[in-house]
Amino acid sequence: MSTLDDRLNPAAVRIMPVAKAEAASRRAERPLLAFLRRVLLSDYFILYLTIFFFVVASIFFPTLSAPGNIANQLSNMWPLLAVAVGQTFVLILGGIDLSVGSIMAVTSVVGALFITQTLDAPTFDKSPLWGTLISDQGGILAGSPNATLIGVIVMLLLGTLIGLWNGFAITRFRMAPFMVTLVSMIFFSALALWLTASRNISGLPEDFLVLGKGDIISVYLGPKLTPDIARRDILPMVTYPFVIAVGLAVVAQFILSRTVFGRQMFSIGTNRRASEVSGVPSRRVMTLVYGFSGFCAAVSAVLYSARLEIGRPSLGDGLLMDIIGAAVIGGTSLFGGKGSIRGTFFGVAFFVLLLNILNAMRLSPFVIDAIKGLVILVAALLDITRTRLINREQRS
Amino acid sequence: MLNRFPKIGISLVVAAMLATMIFGAAAAQDPLKICFGFQDLETEFWVAGHKAITETLRAAGHEVLEYNANENPDRQLEQVRECIAQGVDGIIIIPQDGDSAVTIIGEAQDADIPIAVFNRPPNDRSKGITVVADNVSATEQAVEFIAQKALAKWEATGVQIKPLIVVGALQDTNAIGRREGFFNVINRYNEKYPGMFADPIEVASEWDAATALANLEAAITANPDVDFLYTSSDFLFPTIRSVLEPRGKWVPMGQPGHVLMAGLDGDATACMLIEQGYVDATGVQNLFYEAELTMNRLLQAVANGETQPNEVLLDPGFALTAGNFRWQDVDMWGCKLYYEGFLDQ
Repeated sequence: MSTLDDRLNPAAVRIMPVAKAEAASRRAERPLLAFLRRVLLSDYFILYLTIFFFVVASIFFPTLSAPGNIANQLSNMWPLLAVAVGQTFVLILGGIDLSVGSIMAVTSVVGALFITQTLDAPTFDKSPLWGTLISDQGGILAGSPNATLIGVIVMLLLGTLIGLWNGFAITRFRMAPFMVTLVSMIFFSALALWLTASRNISGLPEDFLVLGKGDIISVYLGPKLTPDIARRDILPMVTYPFVIAVGLAVVAQFILSRTVFGRQMFSIGTNRRASEVSGVPSRRVMTLVYGFSGFCAAVSAVLYSARLEIGRPSLGDGLLMDIIGAAVIGGTSLFGGKGSIRGTFFGVAFFVLLLNILNAMRLSPFVIDAIKGLVILVAALLDITRTRLINREQRS
Repeated sequence: MLNRFPKIGISLVVAAMLATMIFGAAAAQDPLKICFGFQDLETEFWVAGHKAITETLRAAGHEVLEYNANENPDRQLEQVRECIAQGVDGIIIIPQDGDSAVTIIGEAQDADIPIAVFNRPPNDRSKGITVVADNVSATEQAVEFIAQKALAKWEATGVQIKPLIVVGALQDTNAIGRREGFFNVINRYNEKYPGMFADPIEVASEWDAATALANLEAAITANPDVDFLYTSSDFLFPTIRSVLEPRGKWVPMGQPGHVLMAGLDGDATACMLIEQGYVDATGVQNLFYEAELTMNRLLQAVANGETQPNEVLLDPGFALTAGNFRWQDVDMWGCKLYYEGFLDQ
């Protein structure tokens, strides 16, 4: 059966089989190249790269493959994955959310101020909330059996509201996402510092802390030589952060790949004008996506605050490069219209592994940051190359 | 008389044996793997402390795994977990703040690894080995020196003294202690000599030179008559100079317009500025003593099989002033660095 191209260009009917045969023979001659090409164009490219790096680096740094280290690195992944999922949505739209770090900070301190069980008067009496929402008895939910539940809901609502505000400002006033989220970043960072008079908030309830590091299933690998097993030898297999972050990622992937809303996001990211002409409610979609990004940042703030055991007004500082980097490495395009949560998951894994390897190499943090920047650049260039190759294959 | 010698000799031998058992046991065993996690080495104090700890441990044949968390407590937590996974024998940290230190100590102790905190104490000092300077006392000694000079000035002129304090990041108990020491002296003088000091102006630095610069500029512009200044860390003296000098207030002592100034840390810059007469006093943390305390107690814990040693070791500190500079400068770590040409590097 001839294709449309064939009918428009009869010469192609004669030429294409020859070209295909030549390509097939080239591939047959160079199986390694063909294999590399297949790997490069695969959706699982970053996963392959991560496994390759892990195997090679483990030869030089055997501690990388120690079960304890793997468990640690997995636990480092979950909070970053949560916030990177939201950023992936925004990037698919062709936008960017610079405010995620400050959303994490402000939700962290507001949630902590609600649920903290104790506050030191000389330290916190300069907070504008002193005497109203907080006192030397702690936050207003101190001692309540539902403190953690309500505190977490407050954090998630606040993060979502800030995200919705970002989306509203971008769509309603037609302002650049960069500018709106930059202003939010500055404003909410300052707000977090102001609310806490620049102090950390400790004294969080135990059931909140479990969300950051509680194990659901733990394992012990090795012979049982003594009646007691040391805590350091017990490895967390399934943890609360794992369930929360992976659950969020699964829902996000479902929205992206199985719903009309997800297709509308890709459509807006590819060409906003054309999608509006086609009847896509771009304003609503964009506003909701920024709201979702704020929600994900708040989820991440819950995980980070719980594992650090403090509400921290500078939480999220310096994390933006990791968040955007993980999404970009995972194949999300900075120009919009392309990306997946699966890719972001692999990107986060790659990023965490990269940091683990660089730490194992005992490099200074400045060198580590420089290398991370370079990796993001290489990932972006690689993405362009892959896109070109895929387009060329599709044309041929 | 001669009979005493055997007793003295035996006592000395026993003392030497005990000392060897306590301090030498760790060195005698196999080389240890010590994890040293720190934050940015932005100030001379941290640079010198880092050098003292790493070089001494390596010289003793121990392996030191260094981790710089770059002012990110979450990263430091991850790094300490990495150390635990690598099976280190002991951990030394310089935490970002007193709150995250508590979490990190808990993480190490849960894994039965002894941990020591160098100079920046956790808010809960009941866990871990904490080596810290007595910030309140060292500050009081330094501020007392300039308060006496201020008293003489007030009595001679009758003009109220206007004090200013550059405060550190108040999540850090060091910063809290230094602020407390400053206010103790001011309040004491105001009780004894009512009206001597105006209400102190507090300038936030967050332990960041850029933040300190912006806030100090604003404070001095609004209060150009500030004549009494205490900085919670000596590393901010260059920042203070850049604010005071254009306003004609960076003047050595003995000349009109001199601002009475004191700091805390005892770094090389402070030593130079006291020698030149711009700074009147600084509270000194005995850095080398603190580093030695940290290492010895941690190695002792490892040698004794203590997995969760909990102890607070205090460095009393002292004040180096324009008055005692001639004979006490050699006791200050910053002066040693200064005389070795540290500031010329």
